[in-house]
Amino acid sequence: MVVKYPEAEKKGRYSREEYRLILQAGLKQLSGETSTYQAVKKTIPNGTIGMKTNCLTGRFFSTPPELIDALADLLTTNNHIKDNQLVIWERTNRELKEAGYKLNASSFGRRCLGTDTNGVGYGSNFETYGEVSTRLSRIMTDTVDMNINLPVLKDHSLAGLSGGLKNMYGAICNPNKFHDNHCSPYAAHVSALETIKSKNRLTIIDAARVQYNGGPGFMSEYLADYGGIIMSTDPVSADRIGLEILERLRSENKLPNLEQAGREVKYLQIGEDIGLGTADMSKIELTVINVDQNGTAHNGGLL
Amino acid sequence: MKRRTFIRCLGCGAALAVAPGGELLPEFLGGVQNAVAFDYAQNLSSVEARYYKKLEGGGIECELCPRHCFITDLERGYCGVRENRKDTYYTLVYGLPCSVNIDPIEKKPFFHFYPGTEAFSLATAGCNVNCKFCQNWEISQTRPEQTKNIELPPKAVVDNCRERKVPSIAYTYSEPIIFYEYMYDIAKLAHESSIKSVMITGGYIEKEPLKDLLTQLDAVKVDLKAMREDYYKNIVHGELKPVLDALVQIKNSGVWLEIVYLVVPTLNDTDSEFVDLARWVKTNLGADIPVHFSRFYPQYLLKNLPPTPTQTLERAYQISRAEGLQFVYLGNLPGHPAESTYCPDCGELLIERRGYRINKYNLDGNRCHKCNREIPGIF
Repeated sequence: MVVKYPEAEKKGRYSREEYRLILQAGLKQLSGETSTYQAVKKTIPNGTIGMKTNCLTGRFFSTPPELIDALADLLTTNNHIKDNQLVIWERTNRELKEAGYKLNASSFGRRCLGTDTNGVGYGSNFETYGEVSTRLSRIMTDTVDMNINLPVLKDHSLAGLSGGLKNMYGAICNPNKFHDNHCSPYAAHVSALETIKSKNRLTIIDAARVQYNGGPGFMSEYLADYGGIIMSTDPVSADRIGLEILERLRSENKLPNLEQAGREVKYLQIGEDIGLGTADMSKIELTVINVDQNGTAHNGGLL
Repeated sequence: MKRRTFIRCLGCGAALAVAPGGELLPEFLGGVQNAVAFDYAQNLSSVEARYYKKLEGGGIECELCPRHCFITDLERGYCGVRENRKDTYYTLVYGLPCSVNIDPIEKKPFFHFYPGTEAFSLATAGCNVNCKFCQNWEISQTRPEQTKNIELPPKAVVDNCRERKVPSIAYTYSEPIIFYEYMYDIAKLAHESSIKSVMITGGYIEKEPLKDLLTQLDAVKVDLKAMREDYYKNIVHGELKPVLDALVQIKNSGVWLEIVYLVVPTLNDTDSEFVDLARWVKTNLGADIPVHFSRFYPQYLLKNLPPTPTQTLERAYQISRAEGLQFVYLGNLPGHPAESTYCPDCGELLIERRGYRINKYNLDGNRCHKCNREIPGIF
């Protein structure tokens, strides 16, 4: 599902309240529930919830704290999930800090920490799927019961697309070993690791702004305001929709598509082939909604 | 350098700071004299890397190893320790070893390079391959922010060696190629103090950096992991051909060379592979290059295999000797007669070893004390 908010006060950048309206509408649509509380409860059951950000580029183009705060507000509606059951996390504390997050490794309040926090680190057991053998962040293996994957949408000079599947490279100890062949099949295999597959409950890709070329580093000249988020319980579909948006923006900006650019995104089809989700656009049930300033959802038409 | 947690000893014998895996080994600390402590480093280094080129349209291409990683802004190479920041390439591990020990040179193993001496041995995190059998995967298959590193700039390494009267520095444990700049600078400085440098490597390096590096090294031990490309592709995640090329380049440079072949049951232990190895070494490097067949123990991603049977290693030994190799050894088999050095002409026992210990030494200079045959190496 794609949720857009065309009336944003500042184009391409949402406030916490605007993100709350967007997420609320999306969760209701996704769950089929009419109340926010029921929508949240149905989508994310009670437990300790991880929120995996993408803060590679620090303050420039990372998962916005406003999005995380808005999601946390919703998850804690009616005390469904307690504040200290929320774990905002990333590879390193440095990345989180540079992206504007306030670290909190204590058990009071919303936790926010990197895997490099003292006493956290990576597990000692290897998990293997296909071409990937690795150790996972102990935040993923030991701390959280479920995870919400919250990347930003951007081009990636090796992977082609950096969305949800690629963001889970931040959960493993040796991501540098899995960039060959445009991250295929590795990006799919990382998300098929048992812990990641079983705990990843929801993917929310922030596409308020999209970097359609030159990623994963930040290049402001390739930023476009898309003005929405992608939300799905299917990690492959979420990325597939992200890829559609990315390719459209590349086309609008007279750039070759990713295949022509030599970095065709093959790992999505592999993700479908191994049962991780759906990559075929004709099989994806896509809903696009527009949210107005009152939080009311309207049919959003085309992607 | 801050001094807190890095323990060193000024007495002879051994000193240990941080072991593979990055932990202090408390059992070592008993009996340490004049212990001095160092802080763990808080940050990674940002020294510009050598051997890379900036690409038109952005990104860089690493030219250190045959992998030739294409790396965009904020990404790292396959090794995990070299990072592109705005199209300048940096080594993140310069002066930041995560493992420092003083080892017998036999542990490397070098059997024909100053036998019975010690080597100040160090490694940083990272590796440019990913062997499924890696014995030091805790440091080689991680990124430097995941290991406990200490600040030990080249001068401190050399000073330590001088103080302890350690004659050699060994770049070892992980893959020294990936900390090339650090290794090169230490070796260069060490030579000014007549301290030798030895590299223990998989040999997966490009010609130009190897050529430059060999001007600073005194000996190289190469892990030749197999004689089959498919093994390199599937088990090592590398390539055989560049390693063979590097072996020839090292031999031709005049730097002392020894080879280790880790025999992994069912994967690289056939007669034909041992024959191919022996013939290739004899033809391309010479019959007098020491070749060590080493016993595999289940580790890392190959825990499903048993340790190499002694008979397999003995078969490798017999085949290699029959093919004409003159100095063949078996490793990780303490007490086996094939740990020792014999004169190829008269059969006299020249150096008797048990594990890393030398029990008898019957060399006269670099010659057999009985028949006067010259024994290759640096003694």
